[in-house]
Amino acid sequence: MYDLIIIFILLVLGYVFGQAAEKRHFRSIIKREEQYRDLLTFSKRFPLDADYDQKASLVGGSVVISVDYFKRFAAGLRNLIGGRVTTYESLLERARREALLRMKEEARQQGMNTIVNVKLETSSITKGRRNQVGAVEVYAYGTGLVSNIDQ
Amino acid sequence: MIVTNIEIIPGRKIVKHLGMVQGNTVRSKHAGRDIMAGFKNIFGGELKGYTELLTESREEAVDRMKQQAQAIGANAILNVRFSTSSVAAGAAELFAYGTAVVLE
Amino acid sequence: MDYQNPKIPEGINVTDEHPLKGFLYLLAAVAGTIAIIVLVISLSIGELAKLVPFETEVSLAEKIKANVSDDAIENLNASEQARHQQVQAYLQNLADKLSRAHQLPEEIKITVHYLDEPVINAFATLGGHIFIYQGLIDVLDSENALAMVVAHEIAHVKYRHPIVALSRGASIGLILSMLTGVGDGGSIASQMSLLTSLAFSRSQETESDIDAYNALISYYGHAQGATDLFNVLKKSNHILSPPELLSSHPLSEKRIEKLNELDKGAYAHCSKNSMGCQLTPLPDFLGVN
Repeated sequence: MYDLIIIFILLVLGYVFGQAAEKRHFRSIIKREEQYRDLLTFSKRFPLDADYDQKASLVGGSVVISVDYFKRFAAGLRNLIGGRVTTYESLLERARREALLRMKEEARQQGMNTIVNVKLETSSITKGRRNQVGAVEVYAYGTGLVSNIDQ
Repeated sequence: MIVTNIEIIPGRKIVKHLGMVQGNTVRSKHAGRDIMAGFKNIFGGELKGYTELLTESREEAVDRMKQQAQAIGANAILNVRFSTSSVAAGAAELFAYGTAVVLE
Repeated sequence: MDYQNPKIPEGINVTDEHPLKGFLYLLAAVAGTIAIIVLVISLSIGELAKLVPFETEVSLAEKIKANVSDDAIENLNASEQARHQQVQAYLQNLADKLSRAHQLPEEIKITVHYLDEPVINAFATLGGHIFIYQGLIDVLDSENALAMVVAHEIAHVKYRHPIVALSRGASIGLILSMLTGVGDGGSIASQMSLLTSLAFSRSQETESDIDAYNALISYYGHAQGATDLFNVLKKSNHILSPPELLSSHPLSEKRIEKLNELDKGAYAHCSKNSMGCQLTPLPDFLGVN
C-alpha cells in the first residue's frame, strides 16, 4: 500500500515539475532559434556554391535530457499496448533542437555564419536494471564556414 | 589544425593524404552525479553533469586525434566522425576519427 | 542562388494531445485488462480445483495442519479433558448424522474440532476439517441451530469451497506478483499457511445455506431454528474478521429472507409453534448459560 502511495506522489511530482520544465524549455528554444535564424545550417555534404573565407572548423553541441517519472511510467504503460509514445516524442524533440542550438552557439562564437554537413547522433543513457537512470543524449555536429551568402 | 567533417576545405588544395587518425577516451561518471541524475529522473530536465562530462570527453577524444595528426605532420583533419558506445554500465567510450591531410 | 531560412511551424513532430488524457486512458485500459485476466483465470482455476481428488486435499491439509492442531487439549486438566472429549464426540456424532442427511460422497470424511474459546466463530477448511468455537455454541439456544451451523460448514466441504477459495487466492496472488514483479513465487507458500483465512464468496455461502437448510429438514423433519444463528448475530451486531463465519457472508437479514422464502415452498408443512416442530435442546454439558 505504501508502495502505491509513493508511486502516486512521484507521479504527481514528475507530472507537475516535468511539464513545467518542458514548457519552459520549449519557450526558450523557440526564442533562441529566432536569434540564430540568420545562421544557415545544411545537412548537405558539400558546401554550397558561394565564396568562402579559407576558414573551417568543427562545431558541435550536446545535451543530456532526463525523462521524468511521469513520462517513464506513461511510456511503460504504453509498452503493454503499443502505439505512439507521445511523452517521449516531445522529449527527443527538445533534446535535438537544444543540441542544434548549442552547435549554432559555438559556431557564432567562432565567427562562422554557415554550418554544413550537420549530423545528429542520439544515444540513450541507462544504468542498471533496478535503479535505472533514463536519459537521452543528443550530439549535433557539423563544419562551420564563413560564407558571403546573402539572405 | 583545421578539423572539419566535410571532405574539402573551400579554396584550399590538399597536397598530401596521410591516412586515418583517431582519438578515443573511456569515461565513467562518479557516484555523486548519479545521485543527482536519480533525482532528475523524477522531476525531468537537463542532466547538466552528464552533458559536461560528455562534452569534456568528446573534446578529449578530438584532442587526442589532433595529437596523432600533429605527430604525423598533418595540418588538417577532414571528414571527422564521432561514435559513442557504452562499454560497461556507467562507462562510455567516445571515439573520434578522420582523415589527416596536408593543405597547401 | 537564393538562400532562405524560413521558420518552421511548431508542433509537427510532437503529438498535440494532453499527456494526462492518454495516460488515464492507458491506466484504465491496463487495469481493466488485468482485472479481467485475473477474474477469468481465478474463476477457471477455482472450477478446476473441484476436480482435485479429495484424498489430495486431505494430504495437502496434513502438510499444513501444524498451525491449527488440537494440542490445546494437552494443557487442560483431567476433568476439562473429559468434557472436551465429550463435546468433541457429540459434535462429531452430529456431523456424521448430518453428513448422511447431506448425502455426502463416500470419499469425503468430516472431522470436527472443538475449540474452547469465547470466539463466536466456526469455519471449514481443507481436508474436511470443521472448527467450532465454544463462543458460538454459547449464543445458540437449541441443537437445531447448532446443526444448522454444522450443516452449513459440511456443505462448504461438500462443494469443495475451501480448495476452490485457496486456488483462487493463490492464483490471484501469483498473477499479481508476476505482473507487478512484487514478491515472488514463494509468497504462494505463505498464502497456503494462511489456511484459516479462507474467505468464501457470497454465492458459495448462499449455496451452503440452502444445502444446510435441506439437510436440516431431512434430519429433523422440519427447519425450525435454522435462522436462529442469524437472528442472534444480527442482534448482538458482532464485527467479525475474515476467517469467521459471517464475514464476506451475505448480510444476516438477507440470509434470513432467503431461508424464509424456502419455507414458503414445499417445506412449509410445519407452521411456527405447531407441535410437529419441536426444537431439540442442547445437551447439558454444552449448555453453559
